[in-house]
Amino acid sequence: MSSPSQPARSALVAKLTRPVARPMAATYRWVDERMGISDLTHQLLYEAVPRRGAWAYSLGSATLIIIVLQIVTGIFLLWTYVPSTTEAWESLNYIEHHDEFGAIVRGMHLWGAYVLLIIIGLHMIRTFVSGSYKKPRELNWIVGVLLFLMVLGLGITGAMLPWDQAAYWTAVVVTHVVDYIPFFGNWVQEILRGGPQMGPETLTRFFAIHIWLLPALLVPLIGLHLILLRRHGEHGSWVNYEGVETESEEVRKERMSSAEYPYPAVPSDPGYAVPVDLDDFFPSQVFKDALVSFALVVIIFVMAVVVGAPLERAANPAALNYVPTPEWFFLPLDQLLVQFPQAWMIPVGVFVLPGIGTTLLILVPFLDRSPDREPWRRPEVMVPALFAVLFLVFEALLAVNRLFNL
Amino acid sequence: MSFPTLIAATSPHLVRVPISTGVATALVALLMLAHIQFAAFQQGGYIILAVTDFLGWKRKDERQTRFSKHLVTALGATFAFGSALAIFSVLILFLGLWSQFFVELVRIMFWPLVVEGIAFVGEIACLYTVYSQWDRLANVRSLRVGLELLLSINASIQMLAIDVVASYMLTPRPSNSLALNLLNPTEIPLELHRFVGNIAFAGAMIALVGGLRILFSRSPEKRAYGDWIGHYGLIYAIGFTIAQPLIGWEYAKEIQLHAYASWYSMMLGGLSVAFLFQVFLLGAIFTVGIFYLWRRVKLGGSRSPTLAICTALSFASWLLISTPSSLAWSYEDVVGANANVPIWQGGLEIPWGQMIPFKLVALITFTGVAIVAVTAYLRHVNKGSMRWGDAGRAQGAALITVGIAVSLIMALMGYIREDSRAPFLITNKVLINQQQNFTPPSSTGPSMNGTSSVGIIMPWDAGP
Repeated sequence: MSSPSQPARSALVAKLTRPVARPMAATYRWVDERMGISDLTHQLLYEAVPRRGAWAYSLGSATLIIIVLQIVTGIFLLWTYVPSTTEAWESLNYIEHHDEFGAIVRGMHLWGAYVLLIIIGLHMIRTFVSGSYKKPRELNWIVGVLLFLMVLGLGITGAMLPWDQAAYWTAVVVTHVVDYIPFFGNWVQEILRGGPQMGPETLTRFFAIHIWLLPALLVPLIGLHLILLRRHGEHGSWVNYEGVETESEEVRKERMSSAEYPYPAVPSDPGYAVPVDLDDFFPSQVFKDALVSFALVVIIFVMAVVVGAPLERAANPAALNYVPTPEWFFLPLDQLLVQFPQAWMIPVGVFVLPGIGTTLLILVPFLDRSPDREPWRRPEVMVPALFAVLFLVFEALLAVNRLFNL
Repeated sequence: MSFPTLIAATSPHLVRVPISTGVATALVALLMLAHIQFAAFQQGGYIILAVTDFLGWKRKDERQTRFSKHLVTALGATFAFGSALAIFSVLILFLGLWSQFFVELVRIMFWPLVVEGIAFVGEIACLYTVYSQWDRLANVRSLRVGLELLLSINASIQMLAIDVVASYMLTPRPSNSLALNLLNPTEIPLELHRFVGNIAFAGAMIALVGGLRILFSRSPEKRAYGDWIGHYGLIYAIGFTIAQPLIGWEYAKEIQLHAYASWYSMMLGGLSVAFLFQVFLLGAIFTVGIFYLWRRVKLGGSRSPTLAICTALSFASWLLISTPSSLAWSYEDVVGANANVPIWQGGLEIPWGQMIPFKLVALITFTGVAIVAVTAYLRHVNKGSMRWGDAGRAQGAALITVGIAVSLIMALMGYIREDSRAPFLITNKVLINQQQNFTPPSSTGPSMNGTSSVGIIMPWDAGP
């Protein structure tokens, strides 16, 4: 028996699905006429992106997806978690051992945070190496750095919420450190602790910062980040601009005039307003973004199931022999502290050097004003940045070595 | 029957080799110091090879591709010689002259040494594939660069394994946990120190070859090539030495905390003079290297006040670091600052003994100045004003000086580290002077009978 031809098969499918498809299409048209969903989808999905190096550009979307995952798993945890010094640990212990899927959700929240920090770090490195922060994208770089700092803040405040030994002593160290801020240190410390000493209010304040204050700042900044990205278009990397330095004025004008939305980016260094070769965001880039994000979510899930999230014994302020160890993303800072004599330790190790580092990071677009995009043609930023990254990696490894051998 | 007893019972004539401890020490020191130089060149050279070939590929730079081929040839030749030295040292000298120590060490570090052996095979496979199939692999450049990367990883794994052994000898953990002994207090600082140091060393050797070519090549083309590889190697040499003061600080601190006698010997005792000579050499590397960068830019027709200032600052720091501690800010100041006693007795957390305080200032200056100098130099190179082949005798001599200084510092560092453990071969476990008088375990030897001191059960431990 011969199989039906393609048109015949299509006609058959259309006939079979007609009872469902027609009302669905009518409903969609009705909603679309009133809400403009098609226009919105078109605006969201149809834009041009640089063709080359597209896998590297998926890190930004992956960051967004993991942040959404954090919000979702965080909401699930909030259904049971009690932000009180007497019940926080108990509630997490319940989630961990008695709540169905509770341990997995908690594990995903923890590993999601870890993976998020790694992906943001890679995203920043990619942006830095490709010179994507240059005119006109300076503001987007600054917003990105602020987002990174907020995620670090979410990480440290989240680490205090279990109110186990690790969380309690982390809170002690953090609130002790802020006391060294010149002029306002004591005031900031009392605000964070809810008084001169650690107490019940300390936990509720860090809880409020973790689930209200920082997300309330984070979400609008993410929106601004995306708006700025759409306004100027994805820069991509230097490989998308090969030959632009030697192209004639006519070729450049032709490239500019025939550029697809959202290009050309203005204001721009000559030649860098439009990538030489473009691709469609949908479906080409969306497919890559989805694949990378999916792979990361799978990794997070597997880590949550296999390793899970630790929960130490309930906080005990009397346990003076407990040695607090920082979260891995604060290991470089922890190591930096022990490199200074006692009197300089916190002022220089916590405020001066990290303060200088953060300021320089924010100011990168204004320090590197040359039109060059290739990393080897920007040694004035690449060489110090390479040393900064090596320094952080070395400090983290040395901290592991020191803490392991305590 | 334990393994040493078995050796003593079955092969009594192998027990003693008629060589004094002094001669045995000198032989091992000579061979191992030579081996370290070859091994450092291999490990650092593979990384430079992978980076250079990648850059040559991506930037379509024929000079980098040509240099990659020369480098892989040099690495192939030195690998054979360096490996022969290592195998001779292990099979003849260690087994013949230092058998108690070596058996103990292999038993404790059995798994790291197994990993090292496997990585060694991987290194041979990758190196000779890249070397022999260079031209064929030019058509599949990504595969060639991938193999070079794999080669670097193999060599780095070997270095990691041997660093576990070397650091354990200085700071063994009094524990029967293999994990604690693997990640002993000086393992990561030594690993980082060597990883960065090996790249700098390989770069310095490349710079030395460039310097020799500048001085002795008669053909302008060859001199131009030598000029370029001299500059290229020096960037690695200076660039990676920048990280060494910071890592060295951490390394010294861990030694101070966990092997105080060795630290005292290095920083305040008999070896502190050698240590001071070492920082003098470090000053020479930075100063002569930065001087080269400044003069090379000037030869290219550009003026660089930044590099001139960097050279002056580096020279001043060299003078400062070379000043004997007894002149000013003397050792009395060190005592006055309570820095001559360990932390647990209330001392400062500064582990550099006679190095403080002004030598510390010089080292911090070197680090900062070198970052600025390398950045400024690369900026000038990128402007395209440099013409390779212009370098004169002064540049050639500077490159050779840096190469020799780096080689010397590598040998000196090995001498200081190994000698600081005296009278032990493994701190508090195995003595040097027991090695040439091998005795069955019934007498008063180190812990050689039964299981090893970390409790690893080997097949022969379970014997009758």
